[in-house]
Amino acid sequence: MRYGGGNRSRLLLIILIVSSLFLITLDLRGVQVLDGLRSGGQTVLSPFQSAGNTVASPFKNFFSDVTHLGRTRNQLAQLRAENFNLRTKLINRKNADAELKKFKSLLDLAGTAEYKILSAKVISQGSSQSFSQTLTIDAGSNSGIHRNMTVICDSGLAGVVKEVYPNSALILLASDPSFRIGVRIAGTQQIGILSGQGSRKAVLQLIDNQTTLSVGDVLLARGSLQNRPFVPGVPVGTVVAVDNSAGAVAQSATVKFFTNFSALGVVAVVVGAPKTDPRDSLVPAKPRPTPVPTVTILVTPSPSPTATK
Amino acid sequence: MITRQLSFSALILLFIYTLQESLMNQVRLPGGGFSLFLIFILVWAALSTPEVGAVTGFAAGFLIDLSPSSSGPVGQWTLIMVLTCFGIAFLGFGDDKARGNPITIVFLVLFGVFVSEVAFIFSGALLGVNLGSFGQILLTLIGMSMWTLLITPFTLPIFSRMHAFTFDTGSRI
Repeated sequence: MRYGGGNRSRLLLIILIVSSLFLITLDLRGVQVLDGLRSGGQTVLSPFQSAGNTVASPFKNFFSDVTHLGRTRNQLAQLRAENFNLRTKLINRKNADAELKKFKSLLDLAGTAEYKILSAKVISQGSSQSFSQTLTIDAGSNSGIHRNMTVICDSGLAGVVKEVYPNSALILLASDPSFRIGVRIAGTQQIGILSGQGSRKAVLQLIDNQTTLSVGDVLLARGSLQNRPFVPGVPVGTVVAVDNSAGAVAQSATVKFFTNFSALGVVAVVVGAPKTDPRDSLVPAKPRPTPVPTVTILVTPSPSPTATK
Repeated sequence: MITRQLSFSALILLFIYTLQESLMNQVRLPGGGFSLFLIFILVWAALSTPEVGAVTGFAAGFLIDLSPSSSGPVGQWTLIMVLTCFGIAFLGFGDDKARGNPITIVFLVLFGVFVSEVAFIFSGALLGVNLGSFGQILLTLIGMSMWTLLITPFTLPIFSRMHAFTFDTGSRI
């Protein structure tokens, strides 16, 4: 506040502001040099991101794990009994097992729908300072990945390939606010547009205003022309709330994605679409309640009660 | 002298940027977490002259824009950081009591983070960048501010020593 400033300072500030505005104009006009700079930056950063992923893997989901402590209480109690070395080994093993399980589920999903996939590990997640939901995987154009390919995980849709670099690719997650996908409801085949909201919940707008939605409806990807960016049949999410406001032009609903975006470690890029639409074959099976065994005890009274003296 | 200052500043800037992009972004914290890079830049600006603050802001903003996870057009963060860093440096400059007080610097950084994020939201809205629901934006803003308030006091001594070493000022917080 006490700074006198002076012409030099003001001139410098004006030059920097004009340069920034110039950059914005260039980018909005689609000048390739800036894309090249971003691409070059990512190419330089990807080895560091891989190394960072290795370093951060034991604690990167610490807060998420704490939030879900109830689910893993038994597992944690078991781990507490171990000493430090065993615990480290167990965490590493657990990480590998979880990845294997996810890979297996992923292969099952892709196999059922006959998707040709390329699996990849997540090496970095996008910064939240720009409010975008992205992640970087360790496979890129050298592995045959192109822009606008569908990305799936073991539980369903994860996102779409936004940018491709030689050895890495940037994935726009389905939870990103700019993400849009055409979906259909399994069974009824009603169609709508699903929009990401920056969290695990999304908003569905039905196209036909005559149709109705109900809680529990499962949404699948409709598929795009020539299967880019979306292949058909990928499970997306389930309807958790329906908006029945009277003035609405079309019915809308809140949808919960099948995918837990904060715990993505392994994903697969669909590099080849199925020859036929898998229809509803990928709809996840509803969890069956575990039957509680009932024990019936039959007591038959004795025919001749014993007399007591 | 100026070559030494420029080269040290550039090296430190690139190091913190790489640390943020490769390691800090891996850790998922509730409420959106914090940006070490943003905290560093604002501390640097708060301890510098407005000219140095503006140039640092320009370089830092350009690096943020180059990040593949950045959602806006190239130049958006550059513009925001130039103005924010100049403003922060301007507020702190000339008053040694304010610059030597860690609490003032922490609150200047907090103010800078909040202002830059709000500026990003508004300029993003003007440029057609989709940032999500109001609730989610509010949650991230509050979360980032809380984390910044928590993390800055721990990082301030390190960043101020780096600044003193680079600019040979000898004054540290």
